[in-house]
Amino acid sequence: MGRTLASATQVLIQEEGAFSRFRRALRRQDQLALDDLFNAAQNHLSAAAYAASALPFESFLLAMLLEEHKEVMRLRQVVAELQEMHA
Amino acid sequence: MPELDGWLLDLFEDQNEGAVFYFISQDGRRVRLHQEFPIVFYALGTNSELRSLWRFLASQPRPPRLRRDTRYDVFSRRRETVLAIETSNAYTHRALFQRMLQFFPDLTYADVDIQLSLRFSAATGVFPTACCHVVFDENHKILQINTLDDAWSVAEPSIPLRVMRITPGDNPAHAEPRQLLIDMDGKTCQLDLKDERPLLVNFCALLKRFDPDLILTEWGDTWLLPRLIELSQKHGIHLALNREPHRDIRWQKERSFFSYGRVVYRGQQVQLFGRCHIDRRNASMWNEYELDGAMEACRVTSLPLQVSARTSPGTGISSIEVLTALREGILVPWQKQQAEMIKPAAELFSADQGGLVYQPQVGVHKHVAEIDFVSLYPAIMVNFNISPETILSDPTAPNVVPTLGIAIDDSQMGIVAKALKPLLTKRVSLKTQLSKLSPRDASYNSLSSRASALKWLLVTCFGYLGYKNARFGRIEAHQAVTAYGRELLLRAKEAAEEAGFEVLHLYVDALWVCKAGCEKPADFEELLCRIIEHTNIPIALDGVYRWVVFVPSRLNADRPVPNRYFGVFQDGSLKMRGIDARRHDTTPYIGQTQKHILEMLAEYAEPRDALPSVLRYLKMRLRKLRNGEVPLKDLLVKQRLGRKVEAYRTLPAAGRAARQLEAVGKRLEPGQRVVFLHMRGEPGVHAWDLPNPPDPRSVDWLYYQELMIRAASTVLQPWVGSEEKLRDLVLKETVQLSLPRMISRHPIIHSLPILAKPVLLPALKAENLVTIDC
Repeated sequence: MGRTLASATQVLIQEEGAFSRFRRALRRQDQLALDDLFNAAQNHLSAAAYAASALPFESFLLAMLLEEHKEVMRLRQVVAELQEMHA
Repeated sequence: MPELDGWLLDLFEDQNEGAVFYFISQDGRRVRLHQEFPIVFYALGTNSELRSLWRFLASQPRPPRLRRDTRYDVFSRRRETVLAIETSNAYTHRALFQRMLQFFPDLTYADVDIQLSLRFSAATGVFPTACCHVVFDENHKILQINTLDDAWSVAEPSIPLRVMRITPGDNPAHAEPRQLLIDMDGKTCQLDLKDERPLLVNFCALLKRFDPDLILTEWGDTWLLPRLIELSQKHGIHLALNREPHRDIRWQKERSFFSYGRVVYRGQQVQLFGRCHIDRRNASMWNEYELDGAMEACRVTSLPLQVSARTSPGTGISSIEVLTALREGILVPWQKQQAEMIKPAAELFSADQGGLVYQPQVGVHKHVAEIDFVSLYPAIMVNFNISPETILSDPTAPNVVPTLGIAIDDSQMGIVAKALKPLLTKRVSLKTQLSKLSPRDASYNSLSSRASALKWLLVTCFGYLGYKNARFGRIEAHQAVTAYGRELLLRAKEAAEEAGFEVLHLYVDALWVCKAGCEKPADFEELLCRIIEHTNIPIALDGVYRWVVFVPSRLNADRPVPNRYFGVFQDGSLKMRGIDARRHDTTPYIGQTQKHILEMLAEYAEPRDALPSVLRYLKMRLRKLRNGEVPLKDLLVKQRLGRKVEAYRTLPAAGRAARQLEAVGKRLEPGQRVVFLHMRGEPGVHAWDLPNPPDPRSVDWLYYQELMIRAASTVLQPWVGSEEKLRDLVLKETVQLSLPRMISRHPIIHSLPILAKPVLLPALKAENLVTIDC
């Protein structure tokens, strides 16, 4: 309502839509992984909106990377704990 | 000289007397007085243009008084030379202005279309319902008037209104009412609508005997008063609805308009002279704040009671701004022509944003505090002095707005900040008083309604700042407010994180935080102080939740959605947002079920423990639905029509119901609500206001069952899992039949249409089933 530009949510939906052919050509398990990445971007919509970048997809990619890195950090910690348990 | 101490009930323009006033005196008399009230307005233009206008006006048959003057213009930020034109009253003002527009359409005009009550309030300080002292002569002409009242005082308004409440038993759109229930300060009587003549005679007698100041009706605008007027003409009986005997009633046409993302319908209005008429069903905010709130809005906006009760808070806030401008000698633009400032494209990305909204962390969270800024946007406008004339396009000036290339001129207080400051202060005072009262206190409801009226005015003031046709709107000011809003919320987030709290959710002016070991309101006090220190805006703890659930998107369970949550505060009270029980278009039966499930969950320290009884309850509610034991009234769906019926490309259920009504001559306008039931077969709905009643056996209970399971799943999902799982749990004693392939002797089967897709039915015994080959 009353906006000149599309909101971050609308932009993400458009970007996701723009990759629909890319997604279609992926294997099923890859499609699910791709969906996870877009879900990760969705988690940081407010940050992407606040960043107000002219190329919002950069913010979405960074958000995906962020969630991936959080997962890496979590797994690292699990591995460390397991190593400690077995040491 | 006669004098009077009393309250101003109504005021209006009069062609001969200038302005007419009705007062309620302290000794209970109703007094009609009058006064000449000249109207001054202004024209702006080049010297030669103003000179020609002067010559034109001076040559008129009844020339107005003219003088050169200077007035402050907020948009040029300087005093402008103006031609001040003074006419004897509002009637001559309007006629003269129409002629001026014809001959001088290109000049800029100001102070043109302003209500008499606003002009009078600005000139004398006397507003509708105000207590005042009046001196008048033997011809009832006012010589002097002073206010003894203050619109910004928190004391309860003291005007002793005689209120006549009239209610027809039924909604006239649904069924023809049979009688009128009339209440006059506690004394009630009933009038039969069938016998027209006695009805009129008795009603006229009641009006004369009780002489009400306020007629408070249901459907009075759209049905009752037009009906009574029609009857009075038919039977030739004079109906003295007005106190002014020679005046006709003021009619305002119905209209549909777009507001806050939806189409709103306002029915025709019937306004009276010398007394007020309010139709509760046609007063925009009546459900929010009733008579006490309408009175509060009337006092602070200076609009007459019957006008302020019906207008939107937007008109109210606009009136407060106009009043401030009139008092401050600032020009009130007529048909403002204000373009947006030129800005680089990159700045548009930063500027064209709303409030900061986080994606919440989906799931159940315990011991969460909800902290709200108190009237954040109005507080920003007042504290940071945001107003159309205080915006500077120079990004190097001091007081730069965060993330935007504009700055705020802090050298003098802007008109919007000036208009809002007393409103904000009064609301905070009322809220503080309210927080000290028990809801059982006699004055609690009245105080709460008054606070609600001020809240709605404050809520709309931000929208009006960005509305290009608003008299004191400017998009950059609007953008500055949201930019400060985002900045302050981020500062609050940073303060919370510095203090070791986890921020679960941020939503424009509220944040949800938790920290191990913090469980009582006192544990969050230090954080509140820290946030106030960082933001300089008052903040309040809405409460500490025992548990709160942020629900995910219905389409994708991995995606969070803002502003859909429910939870239980420590005192056991529930708070829910965005779920079915809060929506206006939810069927009452389903809304009640969802709310009751939440109440059952709230009874247990660990909500999971409530599941067995919740599931039993849900099964019982579904059984009642299937067995047709639910009254049809509880299955009604109310939806607003977004457009005219013929404008829909594919008709939604509400559109189909509206079409049914159209076929029997009941036409609905966009914004009107249509009430209907979901039925089996074509067209799938039955409009409630059709003359023939719906067949209860044709109600599409399968559809209602689906809605019920979906609503229950929204609140049970954290403990039960997916909607499918809940469906299995509550329908597990049912079997799935594929209908074209099976027929049965079960009575329900015969009442069902043949469907291609599977339907769920109650368990059948094997001997009742016959399998056939297709």
